[in-house]
Amino acid sequence: MTFAASNGTDVVAGDLADAVAAASLTLARAFAAGATLWCVAPEWPAHAEHVAVEFVHPVIVGTRAFPAIPVGAADPVAGVRVLARPGDVVIVIGTTRATGIRPLLRRAGAWGLTSIWLGTGPRPEAAWADHLIWLQGPDAHGPGPGVPGEAVDFVLAYHLLWELTQVVFEHPGLLTAPVDEPAGEVCITCSDEGRLAEVEAVTDDAHADVLAGGRRESIDVRLVDPVEPGDLVLVHAGVAIAVVDGAEP
Amino acid sequence: MRFVDEYRDPVAARTLLDRIRVLAGDDRFKFMEVCGGHTHAIYRHGIEHILPEGVELVHGPGCPVCVIPMGRVDDAIAVAEQPGVTFTAFGDMMRVPGSHGTLLESKARGADVRVVYSPLDALRIAIDEPDRRVVFFAVGFETTAPSTALTLLRARELDVGNFDVFCNHVTIVPPVKAILDSPDLRLDGFIGPGHVSTVIGQRPYRFVPERYGKPLVTAGFEPLDVLAAITMLLEQIRSGRCEVENQYTRAVREEGNPRALAVMAETFELRPHFEWRGLGFISQSALQLRPEFAAWDAERRYAIPGVRVADPKACQCGEVLKGVIKPWECKVFGTACTPQTPIGTCMVSSEGACAAYYNFGRLHREAAVALRR
Repeated sequence: MTFAASNGTDVVAGDLADAVAAASLTLARAFAAGATLWCVAPEWPAHAEHVAVEFVHPVIVGTRAFPAIPVGAADPVAGVRVLARPGDVVIVIGTTRATGIRPLLRRAGAWGLTSIWLGTGPRPEAAWADHLIWLQGPDAHGPGPGVPGEAVDFVLAYHLLWELTQVVFEHPGLLTAPVDEPAGEVCITCSDEGRLAEVEAVTDDAHADVLAGGRRESIDVRLVDPVEPGDLVLVHAGVAIAVVDGAEP
Repeated sequence: MRFVDEYRDPVAARTLLDRIRVLAGDDRFKFMEVCGGHTHAIYRHGIEHILPEGVELVHGPGCPVCVIPMGRVDDAIAVAEQPGVTFTAFGDMMRVPGSHGTLLESKARGADVRVVYSPLDALRIAIDEPDRRVVFFAVGFETTAPSTALTLLRARELDVGNFDVFCNHVTIVPPVKAILDSPDLRLDGFIGPGHVSTVIGQRPYRFVPERYGKPLVTAGFEPLDVLAAITMLLEQIRSGRCEVENQYTRAVREEGNPRALAVMAETFELRPHFEWRGLGFISQSALQLRPEFAAWDAERRYAIPGVRVADPKACQCGEVLKGVIKPWECKVFGTACTPQTPIGTCMVSSEGACAAYYNFGRLHREAAVALRR
């Protein structure tokens, strides 16, 4: 897929175009189901505000405005944890050097959120987000059009994301995911379908309330070292069997 | 390359695939993924279709539902149909066929059979309903055994007298050894189970490189994890190394979870032998309750028929579990045996090789075959 400029030159092509298109489809489906977009940019809070402003206004008269809210950069994990509901989407804009991005993305699944990471610089070493939109070039984070020859910067990327999301809404058939997943897809023996959960509160010596996939449940934590709120654990059959590293690498 | 687009990071996936292609060259490699969770991920994301033709994945015995023999299901139903018994099981076990139907059909006949998510929930039912005798159908590898162990300790602590465990826990190492000893299979390495290893650690696998000369890489469950593990296996082979490596470092520690191992050792002991579906009897491959926990042992409280039931003749789950044949090569796959009406256990659990292939792989493979013509 490519996105062409008005003069006919390809502006965004290849992997990047595919990544933007896939993220737009996910975003549109989430908005159609009632999601809010939470915007985080620890290094450049202005980007978080900018992307939110775009989504909350229609592209042209008559199209949809989407709920999108920037989250303060001081402690994005705490902010999103308090504000987001299961089914929401979080978009993070920043480099792999930014603190706070990885702990947030690692927890997104446990909170029931879909995640998008719009980044630049060295690529992250593992798949940290549901959608990774990675820009090349030293000035991708700049406020303007970027250095000559580097057409894509953050601003252009999230404008495309916003406009494509609007385009998906013009095709209502796309707004529901195809039903090709068999029902009861998750094996509830949990035999090796362990789930990542975030500890919310330790209720007594043996138990903790956790969020797993956006749902709250009580699990047994006797088999792992003492946990505290915010820790990530791997849960099998109602028992935490491992503490998972959720910090910066 | 349709499937690569669905990966969380297509660029990273493509980089790994390029590396796999270079490392594999024109040679042929056969790797077994031991764990049913990996089988599920491999089919769901179409991993086997994007690998170079020379790299083949063979599905292992690591689905806890699939390895339960029919006779044990019959035993479970016999216990469930005793008067006054409330029988509890994980959801997948409800549809596993014994020789006289499933637990679900037993429930339809009037038995009190309930689905639980954790053995601790079963214990809770026993506490809440003291006039019922609650039995928990314990299945699974070292991932679920710790939760059963904790439940037993809790039952003793609270002195719950109306709770029993019908223990069918199995361990992962003996079947891997049985497969390595099996004459009809040539494997070049193993993708080690991820979550089992969070409990048992990396040490128990050392015999695989040391005694059998095969590398093993423990992997996570993201498609990229599986591709990274295959890359690591090929890199070992190409550089002449042969060892146990850990790709899933974000969850697996070298020593595992000592506390989980301790509660298992406190409550369970090894069975002299246990029948595995398709693999036959494997000595010291399963767990039973220690004599100190006899008061909570369903096998001591109830008359268990213990009849050995041969698998249906048409069913080839055994060969599928050993990786000798692929799911679609089974005589009844997709015709007499489907997820709706399973004949063999591999078709029941979503982690079973046949069900995973039926749900995700079937059409992709048919399309690939058609395109190659």
